[in-house]
Amino acid sequence: MIVDAGRQRIPLRSRDAIDVAALVRRLDLVLLLAVAALVGYGLWAVAGITRFDIPGDSGYFVTRQAIAAAIGGTGLVVAILTPPSLYRRHWRVVYGGTIGLMIFVFVFAEAVRGSKRWIELGPFQFQPSEFGKALFVLAIAGFLVEKQHRIGRLRTVATAIGLAIVPMVLVFLQPDLGTALVYAAALSAVLFLSGVRWLHLGLLLGVAALLVGSVLWFLPASGIEVLKPYQTARLTGFTNPDSDPSGLTYNVNQSITAVGAGGLEGRGVTDASQTRFDYLPEHATDFVFASFAEQRGFFGASILLLLYLLVVWRGLRVVTVAGDLYGAVVAGGIVFAFLFQVFVNVGMTMGIAPVTGIPLPFVTVGGSSMVANLVAVGVLQAIHARGREADVLRR
Amino acid sequence: MSDAPYGERRNTSTRFLPPDPGIEAPYRLTPGLALRVGVLGVVALMVFAVLFFRLWSLQVLSGDTYLAAAQGNQLRTIRIEAPRGTILDRNGKPIVDNVAGTAVKVWVGDLPKQGRYDVIKRLAWVLKVPPARLAKEVDQRIADPLNPITVKTAVGEDQVAYLYEHQAEFPGVQIQQTYLRHYPHQTLAAQVLGYVGEVSEGDLERRPKLYRSGDKVGKAGVESTFDEFLRGESGQAQIRVDSLGRPQGPLEPKREARPGHAVRLTIDIGLQRAAERALRYGIATARENESYYANGGALVALDPRDGAVLAMASTPTYKPSVYVGRVDPKKIQPLVNDAAAKRQNYPGINRVTTGVYPPGSTWKPVVALAAMQEHLLEPYESVGCTPSATYGLDKQEFVNWDPYVNHAMSLPEALARSCDTYFYDVGYRFYLGGDKGRTRMQEWARRFGFGAPAGIDVGREETGLLPTPAWRKRTFASDWDKAWNPGDSIQLAIGQKDVAVTPLQMARFYAMLANGGKLVKPYVVSQVETSAARGQAPVVERRFTPDPPESVGVDPAALQVIRDGLYAATHSTYGTSSGVFSSFPIAVAGKTGTAEKVVPIPGYPPGHLEDQSWWCGYGPAQTEVARIVVCAVIENGGHGSTAAAPAALRVFERFFGVKAETQTLVETD
Repeated sequence: MIVDAGRQRIPLRSRDAIDVAALVRRLDLVLLLAVAALVGYGLWAVAGITRFDIPGDSGYFVTRQAIAAAIGGTGLVVAILTPPSLYRRHWRVVYGGTIGLMIFVFVFAEAVRGSKRWIELGPFQFQPSEFGKALFVLAIAGFLVEKQHRIGRLRTVATAIGLAIVPMVLVFLQPDLGTALVYAAALSAVLFLSGVRWLHLGLLLGVAALLVGSVLWFLPASGIEVLKPYQTARLTGFTNPDSDPSGLTYNVNQSITAVGAGGLEGRGVTDASQTRFDYLPEHATDFVFASFAEQRGFFGASILLLLYLLVVWRGLRVVTVAGDLYGAVVAGGIVFAFLFQVFVNVGMTMGIAPVTGIPLPFVTVGGSSMVANLVAVGVLQAIHARGREADVLRR
Repeated sequence: MSDAPYGERRNTSTRFLPPDPGIEAPYRLTPGLALRVGVLGVVALMVFAVLFFRLWSLQVLSGDTYLAAAQGNQLRTIRIEAPRGTILDRNGKPIVDNVAGTAVKVWVGDLPKQGRYDVIKRLAWVLKVPPARLAKEVDQRIADPLNPITVKTAVGEDQVAYLYEHQAEFPGVQIQQTYLRHYPHQTLAAQVLGYVGEVSEGDLERRPKLYRSGDKVGKAGVESTFDEFLRGESGQAQIRVDSLGRPQGPLEPKREARPGHAVRLTIDIGLQRAAERALRYGIATARENESYYANGGALVALDPRDGAVLAMASTPTYKPSVYVGRVDPKKIQPLVNDAAAKRQNYPGINRVTTGVYPPGSTWKPVVALAAMQEHLLEPYESVGCTPSATYGLDKQEFVNWDPYVNHAMSLPEALARSCDTYFYDVGYRFYLGGDKGRTRMQEWARRFGFGAPAGIDVGREETGLLPTPAWRKRTFASDWDKAWNPGDSIQLAIGQKDVAVTPLQMARFYAMLANGGKLVKPYVVSQVETSAARGQAPVVERRFTPDPPESVGVDPAALQVIRDGLYAATHSTYGTSSGVFSSFPIAVAGKTGTAEKVVPIPGYPPGHLEDQSWWCGYGPAQTEVARIVVCAVIENGGHGSTAAAPAALRVFERFFGVKAETQTLVETD
């Protein structure tokens, strides 16, 4: 390989020192454009949804959201420039950092509405568990790839799960059941793609089913409450939305009404009464999709879903073009966590998924989520670019 | 490359070497991994398919339904209260009208799920209502979120200001303008007017279309009977509210409220006030004359020509304003609780229509008329008026109230003197008529309107009692009591023993005497009119023309004899109430009554008798057509001439606008 002057100026370690121009050429432009479109679309959505939330300052949330997107964009660039192999080699550091972050939250976070999720950072609130999603994938994938030669052993799988359980439990105890479930989804994808045997996967599925069953039904029946009653009710409530129309399922019913009222073309920002008059709770965060569907209708919501589908498709494509197994597994974990979030959040607003506080990627108002998702996309792009590079080398 | 960190040098160099067997083979996408990626892809497609299908189903298939639900979510229909119609006296002066007030209501459905009782407690504290009662009411109405609970009407300005300032702390609390009943004349005609209160469960069940929970309806008297005219029609307005029930826009009227119609009474405020004062004066006079237990009374003034009630007073009375706004349970105790009512001698009842008393001597004209009609008595036949007389097998002695009279007399003098023994004789003549004859007097009395409701348009009425042999048989158990003895006919002839009448029945009878033998139907409400705008004549919506008085079929000559007797009673030297009426410039004719009634008074043995003081009469008498009939009863007031007669005189004075020159109170029957 010929070394030119420009390349020498790149302050990276030589193994990963890459030609920036080449790197850009090797990025997945479709994915990049899809994400850019999603961010732009999300900002437009937030602008409409939050217009009446702060009287006298209709742009309050969208401005903050745009700042978060800008920070996230920077993070995305940094993530692209960072070689994924770095995470693989230092997965223990990543893992330790993730755990440290979670414990840090426990010690320092302010309790907001009964849960400790946020850390004050100057004028911003910082929600480590959002960043934890990507870090978690990077760490567990690192472990599994390192033990690749023993992946067929149940012991390896068990160790991986043991490693994964710690941050999951920490998040669950915040309490943030939704994010813990996202971690679980990411874990399953990581296990799946890293080559765990079908038999073991089946075994895991059985254990998971048993676990869910006991947490929701068997243990409470014998007097042991693992989940708080409201959590259980939310998880099971969506199967029977009329059970308590003004109580726990009130949110879901109002959300379904909002989505349905949107119709084909939407009711527009000023006429979307469910959102405007606060019938829809948390319409800028957990129920943001319902608000959006109310304001922009089937057409608007479909475009959003199609953009998500595009991102997922390109993400899965990254799995196939990854330059190494680690890249593939990480990409798979990130994409599946992303898919899980979209499904649970959108499904929740339409009454087909349990109500959990999971943000809708790129749309839900929240800086941490925006930045973390953009960084995750950066990691995908990095994997994609390295994979392309490897392709070139192989040829 | 030389400036790369050292640790990386080895790896970099390997790129240019053949694969090292010690190092793992270059990564390739294995078919196994591809399969697994494919599985993930299928999962992703399924997920999106489900989301799209659900989105399409909600928004496209049933979008209209949800749109309607969303629109219904934010619009709240508010009833605009219609101002209740005023109640006017015969000259159009308001007796009851409205004042603007502020009501605080709670929409149960908008109270927060958690901390509902905190809101209730705070609200109760601000409005100074018992929190427990409010909480109970909220619990009862929890299933009915569409109608607000009225927590308090007549809320003070400070409290309203506080609620407005702290609106955020009181979700579901609404402040509304309302109309409050206002009684400019306080207790005036309280029992006639009735009162207004919140609609009861029973009313709601009976008239589900007319009434809505929280409505104000008339509960008694004119307010109740003419509720359909007074209530008006509530209007409707819609307002956009957010999920906490906070208004988001202006109130948009959908239907104007139609104010209630005014109801015009036949009562004259001035005369009514005079009548009420007269009753109090009568009671005071009675007490001065050693009737210490005088404590109540009734006075009614009718127009004998058509039965219009000019005044209808009942004492003791109450202020209808105790029912306005938040009702203080303590204040309405005498009106709702029997024991408390008894202590205050039942201020809530209208004694004119529901008070039953033995009529005493005011009954004598009934007997005289019946006897003449039955040809048992000739008007100018001389019948002895002795200090006492004995009747029946057991020679029971019956005495005259005045032991110093002992001569035969004609009917007019007997009426004027109110001679008991004269009427004992007449009564005994009925008794001698056998089983049939013994009911003839009662049959005439029935034709004169006794023993049946007078048919007044407002309020409940008692029928009184006309004792007959059949009634005795029906009512009593022992053979002794079942028997109709001479004493029954004899006592009945002077309006004693079992006979019981209401003052209104009595007034109606005297109106019949005054107008030449026609029985009027008393009425209180003359017309319903649209509430007059300032400076405009009211438009009559509906006029209640009284039924033309019905002739009872008495001989005009017989009637004239009675009238002569009644005139003599107030003007001849021996008249029982001449001392009261003879100097009155307008000729007034009338009859006193002193009826013994069993009244339980602490400290006296059971069966203690107290005299009920009566006076009934009319004016102008003799030469002109009478324009007013007055009937007064003072409970436990002693002699008719010393309590009821002077009270009645006050009403005549007010009606004719002249005063009696002198007044002498002589104790007569």
